[in-house]
Amino acid sequence: MNCVRKLLLARELSARPGVLRQLAPGLDLLRLQGSSCAQRFWPVPVRSHSKFTPAVKGDQEKDGESRDGSLVPLEELFDRACKGERNKAAFTRAVELFCQRDVRRRGHIEFIYAALQKMPQFGVERELDVYNKILDVFPKEVFVPRNFIQRMFNHYPRQQECGIHVLEQMENYGIMPDNQTKFLLLQIFGAKSHPVRKYQRLMYWFPKFKHVNPYPVPVPLPQEPIDLARISLQRIAADLSAKVTVYQMPLTDILDSGKEITQPHIVGIQSPDQQELLAHHNPDRPVFVEGPFPLWLKKTCVYYYVLRGELLPPGEKGEMLDSERNFYYPMHLDLDLDRGPWDDEEFDVDEAEEGPIFAMCMAGAGDQATLAKWILGLQQNNPILSQTPVVFHLAPGPRELLAASDSEPGEEEIPQSRRAQQEC
Amino acid sequence: MSGLSLLLRAARAAFPAGARQLRTGGPRCAYAKELFLGKLWKEEVFPYPEISNEELEEINQFVGPVEKFFNEEVDSKKIDQDAKIPPETLKGLKSLGLFGMQIPEEYGGLGLSNTMYARLGEIISLDGSIAVTLAAHQAIGLKGILIAGTDEQKEKYLPKLASGEHVAAFCLTEPGSGSDAASIQTRATMSEDGKSFLLNGSKIWISNGGLADIFTVFARTEVVKDGVKTDKITAFIVERAFGGVTSGKPEDKLGIRGSNTCEVHFENTKVPVENVIGEVGGGFKVAMNILNSGRFSMGSASAGMIKKLIEMTAEYACTRKQFNKKLSDFGLIQEKFALMAQKAYVMESMAYLTAGMMDRPGVPDCSVEAAMVKVFSSEGAWICVSEALQILGGLGYMKDYPYERYLRDSRILLIFEGTNEILRMYIALTGMQYAGKILTGKIKEMKKGNISVAMEIFMNKFHDRMGRKVDLGLIGKGGVAHPSLDESSKKLEENVYYFGTTVEGLLRRFGKTIVDEQLVLKRVADVSINLYAMTAAISRASRSMSIGLRNHDHEVLLTNIFCTEAYFKNNYAMAELEKYAAENLDDSIKKVAQQVLEKRAYICSHPLDRTF
Repeated sequence: MNCVRKLLLARELSARPGVLRQLAPGLDLLRLQGSSCAQRFWPVPVRSHSKFTPAVKGDQEKDGESRDGSLVPLEELFDRACKGERNKAAFTRAVELFCQRDVRRRGHIEFIYAALQKMPQFGVERELDVYNKILDVFPKEVFVPRNFIQRMFNHYPRQQECGIHVLEQMENYGIMPDNQTKFLLLQIFGAKSHPVRKYQRLMYWFPKFKHVNPYPVPVPLPQEPIDLARISLQRIAADLSAKVTVYQMPLTDILDSGKEITQPHIVGIQSPDQQELLAHHNPDRPVFVEGPFPLWLKKTCVYYYVLRGELLPPGEKGEMLDSERNFYYPMHLDLDLDRGPWDDEEFDVDEAEEGPIFAMCMAGAGDQATLAKWILGLQQNNPILSQTPVVFHLAPGPRELLAASDSEPGEEEIPQSRRAQQEC
Repeated sequence: MSGLSLLLRAARAAFPAGARQLRTGGPRCAYAKELFLGKLWKEEVFPYPEISNEELEEINQFVGPVEKFFNEEVDSKKIDQDAKIPPETLKGLKSLGLFGMQIPEEYGGLGLSNTMYARLGEIISLDGSIAVTLAAHQAIGLKGILIAGTDEQKEKYLPKLASGEHVAAFCLTEPGSGSDAASIQTRATMSEDGKSFLLNGSKIWISNGGLADIFTVFARTEVVKDGVKTDKITAFIVERAFGGVTSGKPEDKLGIRGSNTCEVHFENTKVPVENVIGEVGGGFKVAMNILNSGRFSMGSASAGMIKKLIEMTAEYACTRKQFNKKLSDFGLIQEKFALMAQKAYVMESMAYLTAGMMDRPGVPDCSVEAAMVKVFSSEGAWICVSEALQILGGLGYMKDYPYERYLRDSRILLIFEGTNEILRMYIALTGMQYAGKILTGKIKEMKKGNISVAMEIFMNKFHDRMGRKVDLGLIGKGGVAHPSLDESSKKLEENVYYFGTTVEGLLRRFGKTIVDEQLVLKRVADVSINLYAMTAAISRASRSMSIGLRNHDHEVLLTNIFCTEAYFKNNYAMAELEKYAAENLDDSIKKVAQQVLEKRAYICSHPLDRTF
């Protein structure tokens, strides 16, 4: 429990703009010692002088700057390194900048907390080598316990917590540590320290979870709408013989008259089974185009449309196996005996029966004209569709969702814009 | 050649059909089905069927020349290489009368009984391509005319087919239809005057498709029954001369390369109404009957092949030396010879027992027995050929020697005339249906809670548990098996009895839904095939002992080996049948298959894969 509280505190501390002091003033040391949350519980001799308290932050900052002018806010380090663009190179530069400043790496804990927080902004939150680089900021071998008493008690608790924090952030982003992480941790904290234990726990669970999802989403997701539609449709269809057809390529063209024409993409999927179902569909009954339905692929949402039929009345369902079906052996026995209860392994499930789904598609636009083109394309392989009435039954579309996600910049965009659609 | 044929015809004349002695036996042929009730109908199978001396002499007169022809004039290697049987070989076969072995003499055939047909099959099988060509011609190709044709049809077609002037083919399989009648696409539409049908469609993998002049074709026709139009299968005799018949190029096959297999297309082929086999819409039954009747001969054919293989490999094993020891001195090699001899013996016994039962007067239905023979012998042949190759080592693998050809040729046996999987279903389901009909009443009473029936079943079970002495009358007083086969007979009796109780248990558990339990049915089929094989071996060995045939002690050895092995296999299978799916691995097996098929690939990670 203590540990968690401390961790939370540490996190809170690091959330404020950190301060880096070039010259250790040492004068506030005693006061700082008393107020440091970790050391309140673990009175261990402090070797690092880079402590700060939120309460005195303002003063210190003024003090420092006025005294030697070398006190640089940690954020600034990142701002200075990035020179306009925030990327991995800039981030590493910032870390290197910090490391080059002082051989003793004063203020490294504050720097690490600040760095961890900055990571998503630089887009490096999923980069293993950046995490290793951050761990590398810790001074080596200083925090390794040297005797059994040190080993028994929490040696350098703030440093250990900070190390755990780094690992925790890796865990949250699903980054698996590698051997370098391990060597760094061993070098910094020594075997059996808390960060190393944390590392061991990660290494126990992460490999087990790595392939736990039987339907993994490809990383990274394809950016091309057609490729994205292809994998999404294959994912929903869950039938390896289903065939994806691109009915229309996306196209933007400017006519001579200056009018701009945009042609949305239309990608459809249909399996041979569905084709057969459609072929046996009674053309007197209408089929429906319905949608859009959302499909989430991690943080991306795509929308699809289905072509479905109505639930058939019981009388018209599938043909009975007649007795003259199989040349070689009887397909059913003429016996008045039923299956006994002990071999009945089916669960008693109430099943809601639904009409058959004949095909699915994803399109760049959800209007009826676009979807009609899809139906037109389907007619090539499903001639019966030209005799069957098709009813468009389209919902207003993902407006609300769009609005909600628009307010969140930084998230991946919703690839398909939708216009409200009337029902006919 | 003409001299040979003269000899044959003379032989035929010497023994007219009437002279063939037919024993009077049971009116039906239900030995295999009775096994499913736990009954051993010994009158059906004991004594082992015999043929009279006259018949034996007659058949031997046929066998001699045919054997000579196959040894001297058939170049199997060349047939295999050229993928064609040379015309002079075909001519020789025709003049020997081998194209009309089972066609009655009045139509110019040899009019052989099933037993004699099986005997000749033994020799014909020495060349796989010829055997398949002949079988496609007469075991299925013209069988329709023979068993369901009218007298006019027989008179018109059989003489030319018997002489080999015309070759027949059986056209059932289509690109989209193997055993499923509903997916047959070939269609015959009645012309307006009602005198003929127009036939349209394609058939694939038709044996003799390129040679044949007469085709038995199955097509969809519209039948009006009670005012409702339905599509039914109808069988037609189609002559190539009707026009519109084209055949594709011969398929390149793994084995039986000399036999002709190709696609046959019918385009607006006009078939007169008189050429319908059976009645319009009755083609399904015709097809079933043809398929069911053609299978038994595979037993003797396989046995013939293995006997030849034993001779060839024994020659090698007794001459080749390693470490100053002959190959034949090594235990592992000896074991293979014992296996081959045992398999050959059992399949031969089964084949001739079945043929003998089919030759009894009346219209015996031995389709289950025939299917059992086919499954047992095709698998036995495959194993034996493989073992023979093993004896020969690298030599067997070389194209310079005939062994690899035997291996390729024998692989088809497991596939055609109904794959073994399909036949297992047929065997098990037919037996289950038979037993179910009889046991339904009893099982229903028990399920209703009839105390006396339940008590009877309980007492039976209790008795079984306490070590029941099963006596079905094979041995002891009034026994039919030779005393030297006591042990094997006891094993058979015990197996049969417990098979009966197992089947009853299965019916109680699954009822009519057993059709969906293919893994269960497979074990049922395997046990019943073994039981029939044990019966055949014991019956034959008993007869050999009793009349003192040469080397009868050898037969007893083979029978005892086989019966003991089969007994343990049966017990294992029946023990599994008594368990539920979770315990006998069926669930796991299904799950594995399901997972593999879902991904359509082997889904395990590579052993060298890592996660970190």
